[in-house]
Amino acid sequence: MAKVLGIDLGTAITKYASIINGEPKALENREGSILTPSIIALTKNGERVVGVLAQRQAITNPKNTIYSVKRFIGRRFSDPEVQKELKLLSYETRERKDGGIEIKMGDKWYTPIEISAMILQKIKADAEEKLGEKLSNVVITCPANFDDSQRKATKAAGEIAGFNVLRVINEPTAAALAYGFGRKDAKKVLVYDFGGGTFDVTILDVSPDTVEVLATGGEAHLGGNDFDQRIIDWILDQFKKEQGIDLSKDPLALQRLKEAAEKAKTELSSALETNINLPFITSDAEGPKHLDYKLTRAQLEEMTKDLVDKSIERVEKTIKEIKMKKEEIDEIILVGGTTLIPMVRNRVKEFFGKEPNKSINPEEVVAIGAAIEAEILTAKEEGRTPEGEIKSVLLLDVLPLSLGIETYGGVNTIMIPKNTTIPTSQSQVFSTAADNQTSVEINVLQGERPMAQDNRSLGKFILDGIPPAPRGVPQVEVKFDIDANGILTVIASDKATGKSQSIKVEGSIGLSKEEIERMKKEAEVHAAEDEKKRQLIENRNMAESLIYSSEKTLKDMGDKISPDLKKEIEDKISDLKKAKEGDNLEEIKNKTEALSQSLQKIGSQMYGQKKDGDTPEAETEESKE
Amino acid sequence: MTEEKKDEEIEKKLEECEKKKQEFFLGWQREKADFINYKKKEGERIIELAEAIKKDMLLKILPTLDSFNLAEKNIPTKEKDDKNLKGLLLIKKQLEEFLKNQGVEEIPCDKKFDPRLHEAIGEIVDKDKEKEGMIAEELEKGYRFNGIVIRPAKVKVYKLKND
Repeated sequence: MAKVLGIDLGTAITKYASIINGEPKALENREGSILTPSIIALTKNGERVVGVLAQRQAITNPKNTIYSVKRFIGRRFSDPEVQKELKLLSYETRERKDGGIEIKMGDKWYTPIEISAMILQKIKADAEEKLGEKLSNVVITCPANFDDSQRKATKAAGEIAGFNVLRVINEPTAAALAYGFGRKDAKKVLVYDFGGGTFDVTILDVSPDTVEVLATGGEAHLGGNDFDQRIIDWILDQFKKEQGIDLSKDPLALQRLKEAAEKAKTELSSALETNINLPFITSDAEGPKHLDYKLTRAQLEEMTKDLVDKSIERVEKTIKEIKMKKEEIDEIILVGGTTLIPMVRNRVKEFFGKEPNKSINPEEVVAIGAAIEAEILTAKEEGRTPEGEIKSVLLLDVLPLSLGIETYGGVNTIMIPKNTTIPTSQSQVFSTAADNQTSVEINVLQGERPMAQDNRSLGKFILDGIPPAPRGVPQVEVKFDIDANGILTVIASDKATGKSQSIKVEGSIGLSKEEIERMKKEAEVHAAEDEKKRQLIENRNMAESLIYSSEKTLKDMGDKISPDLKKEIEDKISDLKKAKEGDNLEEIKNKTEALSQSLQKIGSQMYGQKKDGDTPEAETEESKE
Repeated sequence: MTEEKKDEEIEKKLEECEKKKQEFFLGWQREKADFINYKKKEGERIIELAEAIKKDMLLKILPTLDSFNLAEKNIPTKEKDDKNLKGLLLIKKQLEEFLKNQGVEEIPCDKKFDPRLHEAIGEIVDKDKEKEGMIAEELEKGYRFNGIVIRPAKVKVYKLKND
């Protein structure tokens, strides 16, 4: 069974995923990141470096550091849009004889296909190292507006890198596949893709057989970087106002600001305010200067509102272009790191009046969808079931409600928690609650409530013949076993005699859906009062066992302690006994604590007596010598 | 005849049963092996995860050390012997010791620029051809954790002046 790869080959960043143990998962590169910059360079030593290494040396080697090559793949040099982009580059380009584009790196000229292939080669090597096997089958994604020539060029790049490119699919289609849309019924899906540098919106008609792109739109220069820049500008502005110093001229300060801005943006996705604290950011004749600002989420939203508005306007326009209404969109998928910003999510939700799909990491969702497609195609080729769908064939059931037994004080002690995959078995050792108890009753319970009486009893049985012994000494093992058909067998056995009793409950998981839901809901509704009850019982049990051990101690060692202390303990025992009968949790806790403290005095009194008696003896021995 | 037929049927059924049994046995064996392998992999994954969490936390501590370094750089010569400042620098040393004990080591910046270890954020022009590509200045320290670069050193690199 060959491993597959799904590659989201981006303009700035490339990500890739595979299927591991039946689950699609984004993979890390050799540098330990899931994000690989789509940059390649020929260093001054003549070494070819790809990804973050190429990025790190870019400033020293601008002519031989190639980036944004996706903007040129499969396109003509004379294309006006290409011409506009070419002007922004730091590396050399020229027209090929066939009208395509050529890029100079070192002394050689390369096509955008060859450059893309070099990026894909690194991905192949890194992924093979990570997965520990050779890789061949891949699915690569491209923007929905790529034409045939651009798609063919993307496929060729993959083939040059040594892959067997099963298919080149649209990025939004991959996102829809990742969520499994269209497997059962046709759906209109809108993919809102807000990346680092670009914004794309695509409307898809997804059905079990086909995925049709109904419309696409976008902004070539709108992305998360703009959000960072707004924060940087705000800090620069504040600092200039306060200190009169322009930090934008200082490369290290600017670098620190960039990192701080990105960090602040990320932190404000979960926190309502963040601190931008950069000590010694610069210095002048007066000495060092520090930067310490507070930025709130509201402030960030205010300064970036127009960026989000722009994306929403683009969505509106795209929907209008195909004469659709936003209400006709069945599902919305969020793609790209910028959609992690709460304001972005909220605006999308507000606009559509429904929750967008965001459970899959928006930075990985395209690569994950590509990996799923690669796995489906490979499985078909190999005549097997795709990994990850095996579960549905095997039909392993899960337990809808927890199973447990009633223990001392009417508590439901869970043996097998709900959602456990069956068949399974679990066992636990219990003991007796009273001295010389010769039998135990096993009450098998189903449900989530902590008190036994609030759950459904599946059956009861008695294990007797336990040899008389003090409480807590006998060991009774209770074993729960559920087979694949949901038949529950409960066996209780006394470890000392080996005597056992059992009960078989058929259809223990065969409750109707309504019944299960009702029981789950009840558990939720009563959660708070149940918790109080559970605590009360637990504390009562603790109190009882403390009373038991105190009385035993007094009986065994009563003659060795002072009559005062004996009286004190007896009084506290009787206090606790009274408190235990009531429902006041705090009182039970306090009286338990009080008794426990008095009990500790026994130890110190006895230790003191012994020490007092020891000392003269030691002296005597010494004098003997 | 009917007896023979019955025998044949039983034999056929037995054969089918044997086949099914074998199939189930192999499936069960495979499932069991898969589970053991999964547990092994999960164990490795937990170790990896723990390392990743540690790395993440160490990365978040580093800016504090950067600030200490910047503070140290900014101390005027005449105040270098101040006892309070010395005490503060000892706190920095504590932090460095802590990081060292966790497996964090500094990346040296005394030789040629190497994108595996360094990130160039500026250049310094110099006539000396020998210096070309060498590190001119370390702006922020870089670190390795268990031998792997977790943060490259930020440096300025010498560039040859073309007359």
